[in-house]
Amino acid sequence: MTRRRFLSGSASVQAFRRLDQLTILARNQRFTETPVKMPGADKETDLSERIESFLSELKRCGSGAGSLRGSAETARETTALLRRITAQARWGNAGELMEIIRKEGRRMTAAQPSETTVGNMVRRVLKIIREEYARSRGSSEETDQQESLHKLLTSGGSSEDNFRQHFAHLKANVIEAINELLTELEGTTDNISMQALEHIHSNEVIMTIGRSRTVEAFLKDAARKRKFHVIVAECAPFCQGHEMATSLCKEDIETTVIPDAAIFAVMSRVNKVIIGTQTVLANGGLRAVNGTHTLALAAKHHSTPLIVCAPMFKLSPQFPNEEDTFHKFVSPHEVLPFTEGEILSKVNAHCPVFDYVPPELITLFISNIGGNAPSYIYRLMSELYHPEDHELYTGK
Amino acid sequence: MKSITCYLFNSEFQTIYRVTFHFSHQALLPLANVSMIDYTLEFLTSTGVQETFVFCCWMASKIKEHLQKSKWCRPTSPNVVHVITSDLYRSLGDVLRDVDTKALVRSDFLLVYGDVVSNIDISQALQEHKQRRNMDKNVSVMTMIVKESPPGHKTRCEDDDIIIAMDGKSKRILHYQRAQALKRLHFPMNIFHSGSDEFEIRFDLLDCHISICSPQVAELFTDNFDYQTKNDFVRGLLVNEEILGNQIHMHVTKDGYGARVSNLLMYDTVSSDTIRRWVYPITPEANFADQEGQSCTHSRHNVYRETGVSLGHGSQMEENVLIGRNTMIGANCTISNTVIGANCVIGDNVTLDRAYIWNRVHIADDVKVKQSVICDNVEVKHRVVLNEQCVLAYNVVVGPDITLPEGTVLSMHHPDEEDDEDDDEFLSDDNDVGYRKDKTKQKGINGDTMFPGLVLNADPESDSESEVSEGSHDLGSHPASPELDDVKVFQNEVHGTLQRGLDENISCDNLVLEINSLKYAYNISLKEVMQILIRVVLEFPFHQQGAQISTAQYSSHLLPLLKKWAPVFKNYVKRPQDQLDCLASMEGVFLERETHWAALVKVLMSMYQLEILEEEGIMHWFNQGSTTDKSQQLRRNQGLLKFIQWLQEAEESSEGDE
Repeated sequence: MTRRRFLSGSASVQAFRRLDQLTILARNQRFTETPVKMPGADKETDLSERIESFLSELKRCGSGAGSLRGSAETARETTALLRRITAQARWGNAGELMEIIRKEGRRMTAAQPSETTVGNMVRRVLKIIREEYARSRGSSEETDQQESLHKLLTSGGSSEDNFRQHFAHLKANVIEAINELLTELEGTTDNISMQALEHIHSNEVIMTIGRSRTVEAFLKDAARKRKFHVIVAECAPFCQGHEMATSLCKEDIETTVIPDAAIFAVMSRVNKVIIGTQTVLANGGLRAVNGTHTLALAAKHHSTPLIVCAPMFKLSPQFPNEEDTFHKFVSPHEVLPFTEGEILSKVNAHCPVFDYVPPELITLFISNIGGNAPSYIYRLMSELYHPEDHELYTGK
Repeated sequence: MKSITCYLFNSEFQTIYRVTFHFSHQALLPLANVSMIDYTLEFLTSTGVQETFVFCCWMASKIKEHLQKSKWCRPTSPNVVHVITSDLYRSLGDVLRDVDTKALVRSDFLLVYGDVVSNIDISQALQEHKQRRNMDKNVSVMTMIVKESPPGHKTRCEDDDIIIAMDGKSKRILHYQRAQALKRLHFPMNIFHSGSDEFEIRFDLLDCHISICSPQVAELFTDNFDYQTKNDFVRGLLVNEEILGNQIHMHVTKDGYGARVSNLLMYDTVSSDTIRRWVYPITPEANFADQEGQSCTHSRHNVYRETGVSLGHGSQMEENVLIGRNTMIGANCTISNTVIGANCVIGDNVTLDRAYIWNRVHIADDVKVKQSVICDNVEVKHRVVLNEQCVLAYNVVVGPDITLPEGTVLSMHHPDEEDDEDDDEFLSDDNDVGYRKDKTKQKGINGDTMFPGLVLNADPESDSESEVSEGSHDLGSHPASPELDDVKVFQNEVHGTLQRGLDENISCDNLVLEINSLKYAYNISLKEVMQILIRVVLEFPFHQQGAQISTAQYSSHLLPLLKKWAPVFKNYVKRPQDQLDCLASMEGVFLERETHWAALVKVLMSMYQLEILEEEGIMHWFNQGSTTDKSQQLRRNQGLLKFIQWLQEAEESSEGDE
């Protein structure tokens, strides 16, 4: 049916057309085609393909404020990928493995600088390798971890040289340890929400902002035993607060949605502010969704306790003064729709995603290993990460 | 996962583009310091495309080289890129016909231009397309993705203004029309009888030039080999809908960004949109093309800096600024809404606003640039002022102490020069287009001998610009759209073909073949072909020798040409009617050039002797009632009268012989 031809014009025209088609076909012989050369399938090709696809996914995630996936999922995926690298990449000793992980880690963090979980997981794995190496060598991890000032001064950065020794079982041990880390990651949200009853009491008024999966689970867990009222600030322009409220309502939690502008006005009624965060910074401050700083200041003014639910994998050795990667500006579409027309060429619209919340506004962190004050963050940091791994970039 | 195949191809250029950027392909032009083709490929990859075919005909080697260096050709790339080149791709139609010939696609594919910048999520459109395909086998052949943007929107390109009538429920396109300067629109009644009770007629849509096509699209292009563009295709399909039973749907998206950089105005708009992060996550600092050393930082007010940028004392980067690596900026400069490439040196007290400066440009002190494009390796000396919409092409040196008026285009590529060294690289037809455009512009030369300066009288960009800024919709007073009509382009192509035929001594058979193929490329009727052919040949000496040649010189140049191309004429001038048309068109040419009337006789004589024209034809033409004074005057020309008399006598004598 579709092959039928509809032509108009005289017979001679048709004859010309046919003639012409022939020429075109004849000329087609001259085509030059250049397929791109593909190197032979390799064992490592599969690995690098996976890494590439993860990278591109990272680059693309978060076209809105909250990424499509939660950061817990990103953390798990990163760790799983690092486990795969450990298993499949070619390395002879711990030093080489660390070099590979560091190199891939740098690429992964560069792909989406705002997603600090990726870098954190890379550091965790590096730490695991260090510990496993030390254990294989027979020295206890304690001594390795707490290097004295004197030792730091004398050895300098040359401690890497010690990782050159080969151990046959190192690979299995590292993978085992990464598996443990994965198990820990899977349990984080549960571990945090388990503590809910210690913090939320009956008939309290809780305020939160936007949507955090951790806070959601935390509140829902508390709601199984207690009755309380949640006020959700909508968190414009993305309004994840609406989703949060819908989700909480389904669990029969009394929920009120307020605009961000009403945060201060409502704060006097609130007993506790419970928020999630995107990153916990090294100084105990937060990088959290836009509007959180307002909320924290209002809470401070009314002396309302501000509780941050943050799994350990969100703890990042980053300080807030690293300005360039700290902020993230997305498409101003939500602020001023692209369909607005003429006005767009006359104004500048910006849509930042994150706020910095200084540590003095925060009362308590609830992580999967318990509650901590902001001043204790530095200590957790030193437990989780090796000081040499804080800067992935300066590593050789 | 589904495998979508994509077609990118590099369309014909707009006027300025071709001339100015003679040394670079459109798809390789830097937009916010990244080649345009990278934006397109990034968009395709992010939509989950796994295989991309890049079709190019012009400067293919450069595109190939670029792609081979880019991340798209690394073995780990999720999107396998093939480059297919041919000199014969002159339009979308040619490309798709070739796709069909080679059977490159078996399933749905995505069709985009090589200069589309977009971050639209097409998954929903794709799903809808698949659903429609499943419901009615082979009925819906294409889903066009359009973006809602009301009139007056700066990303709307005037060339792309379309009016669409569609079925509100099924999103089926019922009528599709380009709205170029049309004051009155006609909608065929039958579209409203199609049984649906909901119609939408919309003018607020921007064609993103992204379409999801079924494999049938390629077949349809083969079946109808007069389809050249998507416009032809859509309109042809809608007209023949009842017979063919194919439908076109569309998907209107509100989110996301999608635009095609089809001219300099769009270049300006899309660049500024990219800097203002409308295309997030494709932003300058994302380094999505994954090039070494292109890392870039983003700070407040959309100021982007790559590594090694130095800024002098008192200089300000106000807002929406992108500065490439190792660029040095002097003291007390004011820079806003500007993109500066790599390794540029900018002096003191320079003011840049909406300037697009490419790589390795030197700008001296006290220069002011407003809304202009400055290409690679340009040197701007001190106290030069560039007003709006200036273009400095590659390697131009300007100044010192000069103010360029609005819309100036400076290029080292002199329009009259034969670029022999480039001939291998460029397609001859493209060159012809380039020349022709240069020639039309040459009229605007204002005696500037310092450099081959060209002044555009009707700069398409300024037209659209003023329209946007005034928000006026007085389309009637607007000069014709910058897109040249087919006849004009065809005429230029024929001229080019003949010129080449002369230079390379191509046989007449081949010339006929080429003209025939041009005829279909531009959808020209046989009558028009002949008229244009005559016109081109008669004007040929003017083009070669300049317009001021004397009549004697003119005829001495023309007559050998006529003799040489006699077989070409014979091929087109066959019937008596053809002869009349031919004569009428000759008359038309000569009416425009009164001074050369004397040559008409010689032309007629030689064509008569070459047996292209017969005496009956000539007599019939001569006796035909002329309508205007001028043509009557022409007929009273002494030489012509003598010739006619001679003809009559010859006729009588031949009759007498019998």
